[in-house]
Amino acid sequence: MAKEKIVIEVNGEKRVLDVDPDCLLVDLLREDLGLTGTKIGCREGECGACSVILNGKIVASCLVPAIKADGGKVTTIEGLGKNGELDPLQKAFVEQGAVQCGFCTPAMLLSARHLLDQNPQPSLAEIKTGISGVLCRCTGYVKIIQAIQSIAKGN
Amino acid sequence: MNLKTAWVWSKKPHWDKYYRPETLDEALAILERLWEGAKVIAGGTDLLAQIRKKEQEVEALVDITRIPGLDKIRMEGELIRIGALVTHREISQSPLIRGKALALAEGAGWVGSPQIRNMGTVGGNIVSGQPGADATIPLLALGASVKVVSRLGERTIPLTAFFTGPGKTVLDITSEILTEISFPALRGNEASATLRLAKRKALALPILTASVVVSVDGEKKRFDHVRIALGPVAPVPFRASDAEGVLASAPISDELIRKAAQRAAEESNPRSNPLRGSETYRRDMVAVLVERGISKGLDRLEVKHG
Repeated sequence: MAKEKIVIEVNGEKRVLDVDPDCLLVDLLREDLGLTGTKIGCREGECGACSVILNGKIVASCLVPAIKADGGKVTTIEGLGKNGELDPLQKAFVEQGAVQCGFCTPAMLLSARHLLDQNPQPSLAEIKTGISGVLCRCTGYVKIIQAIQSIAKGN
Repeated sequence: MNLKTAWVWSKKPHWDKYYRPETLDEALAILERLWEGAKVIAGGTDLLAQIRKKEQEVEALVDITRIPGLDKIRMEGELIRIGALVTHREISQSPLIRGKALALAEGAGWVGSPQIRNMGTVGGNIVSGQPGADATIPLLALGASVKVVSRLGERTIPLTAFFTGPGKTVLDITSEILTEISFPALRGNEASATLRLAKRKALALPILTASVVVSVDGEKKRFDHVRIALGPVAPVPFRASDAEGVLASAPISDELIRKAAQRAAEESNPRSNPLRGSETYRRDMVAVLVERGISKGLDRLEVKHG
């Protein structure tokens, strides 16, 4: 298989990469770039653990061929904080105890960030929909929702 | 982690070549050249999972998402035209669709999860040919047709004639690409609704999805016509035409709505299924959702009924 050259911006940094035609975005991030904060659960878009923000939209990176992301911008959990500071959402997750085993946490945080960027004052129902693409098998949803509510505008 | 678990976990979908045509002509030429080895990919949310499970074998993927002009929702005269690459998220949030085809916005809003709705396209939802496709069922009720283009020209196919079996359609995937969906915008005397029954409120395939379009006469005393689309309670998503016939031009009453809903249940052909319930249960639920759907349509038209 001939490799193809792609250019993507990952967490604000432009990367030029040679990828296999069937390389998936999740494997590019984890294997080629070492960004293992993006998790692999099911590899078929059910669990959401591989969620990243691609061109401003939350997507399951296991269902995105890396070549499809060519020319795009990707934010992973490693890019959520700025200048060594945690994102307010990350602080809220710590303060509210919204992390149990931690496997879904990166995807939950990115889903919540995506939600709040589009809708700074979400209702409870909108928060639930916003994180509905990520499964927490510790079932720690209540704390996760409380953490998101605590930094939603108006609180 | 034992070896078997590790193997399943690491199993990746495979293909040899990934094409990114910039025009429809280029895409069609690639399909012609590669014939059965190539598959069109848009959002990829169905296709990649199928390739991974080896339900589909492909040598090459032809990504059509860089072809311009297939990602618009627009109104042209009486018709709403939706490009095949419009995503479920775009449909569910479109003011035009919410205003003139609410059942479709509701159906598209049920697909998968935010992650899936951001990538998955309405064209893909139709081409996958799944009997429980949440965006396809409302399109059937809205009387939609699809435009299909090949090197030889284009053809327009009513959705009612598009599906031939589970995962099967009349589309020749070796030479044709679905480019557009169109249907008449609902008028003032028409309303629509999509109702859904599933094990959970998110990320769950439907046990039943029912879409209805209701139209009434000027005095709001009689139905004009009613269109009812259902899935997955037969090998393909379908219109419950016997039930529609019960309501056409008839005086509005709850008794008649119940009769039509019962007829829709009789027209359905579900099988007992460990995920979706017994045949009897599924048939009963058809009657329940059709009745509620028609009532909801009437409520949206502010028609009193008893």
